[in-house]
Amino acid sequence: MTTINREATPEGDNIKGPHQLHSDLHEIWGNPRGLKALTIVNHTTLGLRFMVTGMVFFLLGGILAMLVRTQLALPDQDFMSPDIYNQVTTMHGTVMMFLFAIPMLEGLAIYMIPKMIGARDLVCPRLTSLGYWCYLFGGIILSFSLVLEMAPDSGWFMYTPLSSSEYSPGLGSDFWLLGITFVEISALSAGVELVVSILRTRTQGMALHKMPLFAWYILAMALMIVVGFPPLILGSILLELERAVGMPFFEVAGGGDPILWQHLFWLFGHPEVYIIFLPAAGIVSTLIPVFAGRPIVGYGWVVAAIIITSFISFGLWVHHMFTVGIPQLAQAFFSAASMLVAVPTAIQVFVWLATLWLGKPKMKLPMLWVMGFLIIFVCGGLTGVMLALVPFNWQVHDTHFVVAHMHYVLVGGMFFPLIAGLYYWLPLFSGRMPSESLGKWGFWLTFLGFNGTFLIMHWTGLLGMPRRVYSYETGMGWDIFNLLSSMSSFIMSAGIVMVLLDIALHFRFGKPAKHNPWNAYSLEWANSMPPSAYNFVSLPTIETRHPLWDDPDLPRTMAAGQHSLAIATHGRREMWGTDPLTGKVREIIHLPGNSWWPLFAAMALAVVCISLLTRLYPLALIGVIVAALFLLRWSWENGAHPKAAPDAEVAPGDPPLHSRTMDGPGLWAMSITLLANGSFFLSYLFGWFYLWTVSPEWRMPETSPLSLVGLTLAGVALTAGAAILEKLVRGLRQRKDAGLAVGMYCISALGVVQVAITLWVLLSANLAVTETSHDAIILVGLMYALLHGGLGAVLALLQGLRVGYGYVGAHAPFEPAVVAQWWRYNVVTFWILVGALAVLPRVIGS
Amino acid sequence: MATTMQRLQLTHPLHFVIGLTLWCIWFVTVYGGHAVACAVVPPAPEQGVFTLVNALLLVVSLVAIAILAALTLGCYRMAKHHQGRRRFNARVSAGLYLFSTLGVVFAAMPILGIPPCL
Repeated sequence: MTTINREATPEGDNIKGPHQLHSDLHEIWGNPRGLKALTIVNHTTLGLRFMVTGMVFFLLGGILAMLVRTQLALPDQDFMSPDIYNQVTTMHGTVMMFLFAIPMLEGLAIYMIPKMIGARDLVCPRLTSLGYWCYLFGGIILSFSLVLEMAPDSGWFMYTPLSSSEYSPGLGSDFWLLGITFVEISALSAGVELVVSILRTRTQGMALHKMPLFAWYILAMALMIVVGFPPLILGSILLELERAVGMPFFEVAGGGDPILWQHLFWLFGHPEVYIIFLPAAGIVSTLIPVFAGRPIVGYGWVVAAIIITSFISFGLWVHHMFTVGIPQLAQAFFSAASMLVAVPTAIQVFVWLATLWLGKPKMKLPMLWVMGFLIIFVCGGLTGVMLALVPFNWQVHDTHFVVAHMHYVLVGGMFFPLIAGLYYWLPLFSGRMPSESLGKWGFWLTFLGFNGTFLIMHWTGLLGMPRRVYSYETGMGWDIFNLLSSMSSFIMSAGIVMVLLDIALHFRFGKPAKHNPWNAYSLEWANSMPPSAYNFVSLPTIETRHPLWDDPDLPRTMAAGQHSLAIATHGRREMWGTDPLTGKVREIIHLPGNSWWPLFAAMALAVVCISLLTRLYPLALIGVIVAALFLLRWSWENGAHPKAAPDAEVAPGDPPLHSRTMDGPGLWAMSITLLANGSFFLSYLFGWFYLWTVSPEWRMPETSPLSLVGLTLAGVALTAGAAILEKLVRGLRQRKDAGLAVGMYCISALGVVQVAITLWVLLSANLAVTETSHDAIILVGLMYALLHGGLGAVLALLQGLRVGYGYVGAHAPFEPAVVAQWWRYNVVTFWILVGALAVLPRVIGS
Repeated sequence: MATTMQRLQLTHPLHFVIGLTLWCIWFVTVYGGHAVACAVVPPAPEQGVFTLVNALLLVVSLVAIAILAALTLGCYRMAKHHQGRRRFNARVSAGLYLFSTLGVVFAAMPILGIPPCL
């Protein structure tokens, strides 16, 4: 925490004027230079880092795409060997989906959201930093497999058994499984904090129905990440366990089922498409009103469409699996749901068209890309509805038609709006304007090249050309179409190079932008250009959807410190914590400063990832312990800790600091984290019941190997611990902390008892985990319970210690309530596990 | 009925997600229920659509439709009694409940025409 040696009064701040205030805020929020730049947690810097890194991976993925098109340009080509071709196609899809699309959009959201909702940073800045480092390290590890010629080669969806050790004995699949899981930590981190930030840190007065539409889109995207990514994380863990240890989750002979992988993958994979589309649509919904010069038509319709899309997209996953042998009735359910999702998309398209129709659109550079998006995405959406029809789906399954559809949806639905958004917000990043002429060249080359590549690819697919083939014979009727596709893809690349050149050159040669150059309405344009580390000198009250249109003087008054929280003398990084529905101020959120812990934790996790790849399991274990220590040390510097907020003093009339209440954002962050955890747990239960019901060689023993008495005793210990914790939290709500430390130690001890008994049950079960999927999946379930129980015990122990240090107590009662959520979750999931693994098999039998 | 609707606080934004959550639960129930029924008691193919499985899936769907339709109506009526934020919440919720209702109707239609487990 930075201490500023001036009188700690708001009056003092105002007397010294906005320049002094700016200087003081810069002292608290400003970024360090040199090696210490690695400690930066600020959302502006990290958002930029995400986007720059994403663009680097985009270039890598683009080069891989060019290699693919070069190989397919002519029949009977031997430009690449089949092995390398498989690696290149797999990595193209993987890099574009996992290392470009999602991190890039998350980076944009990380950069933009606080500025749009009138906050100074995201609510968990160290989590942003951890997310970035995990993304960077995971991306480097995964990309390095290309250099080693060991890249994954089973397709970006890694279908089993092709990706299993029998058919992919090298390290390629391991690189994918471990690297992607590592990167997903990043996605989940961003997902959690974006949700909490949008719900709890909007500026005063910004009620839910006044929130910018972009924030609605990002809220939906972030929640979808939180719920949608865990199934793939579970699938990756199971497949890696199968490959590394031989647990037969996806092997029919061992009682597994390869189709389980497809379910887990597409439970993630289909929402993923909408996770990518929604923020891009958010950009479109932001830009169209600005360039049409009028508010969006049907704000409520758009909100409803966003919510519908985010839900329905979870009910479509089986349309990727129509050819695996699912009963017709089940296929019809998914076919219908797949058509339903076109409705909210159509609502948005009509809203955009109506806004343009009723406004006076100005065809500036960003709007060109929006128009390109509308044309391409609508076409992609229509072929999507075609693919929802089961007979047509069967006909074109695994052909280039699907590849073309996918690129129409993803490039049209994500890349075009992204470039529109980058051009639109470029003045905010740099304070300069892009070149219209270079930008237009870039657009037209990209647009024409894209359609030349992928419109033609629809025909190649309809003529029967399968996807992922390394080469084809001449005379199949595909030659000319492939040649045109390949030539067009190079035109598209030239267009993208122009865009990137324009963006790079504008930092040096772009005309200086005037303030709010597009006459936009939203709050991010109240920032200085480029923005300061703290965004706003003072935080305004916002009760309109178009603050800058309704009060054009707002940026000046904000910069002059005429609104709230224009205080810096306390040395804390502060912003409002507001009510999620009404936007009324509840508390002052104080944020942590720059920190090495996220980088250190990510480095330790990288060691774990590399150790698992190289099968150095003892080193991996050490890495896990070290990472856990770093993360726990990070959690130590919270609340009343000297590096956080030891002094709870606030200006007269201001609400208390969040760490002095029972309702801080950490509580929300834990809830959202547990939502992700719950999604993982439900995916696990799905796997258990799926194999039990469907797997042809499933072997359930006559008697359950798990001791019901042992599990019951463990559950009782866990429940008792949770009950004591609830009692202590109830006391803290009444500002009573007698016996808090002792209580926490008792809870920790009960956690240890639960872990010990569960471990005994596990060891005494003598599970044959490499022989049957039944035993293997039980092991995973019990490990889940052990890890959760162990972490619960450690967290309770730390709380006891923190009470001793004076960081937690009646004066700072917040943290035990957060730990109580974890314990509550543990109790529920543990008893469900007992029911599913130990009771139901006894009741129903095999 | 009116009392129940009042207790549900239909102007709360939680209703933005309840309808679609119910849709998801219905969807998982019919998909999962169909899969389990086919694994445990598959009906004879010659029965066509006149099977216990179809009948049960239809009953579940009708119950879901009834609940969602009632909530649509409740939110629609509630919106008329409020202004500002609460009106916005109730109207958007009504729209979402309506979509969920029609979503069940549309996705359940195959139950009337396609035999199970084939």
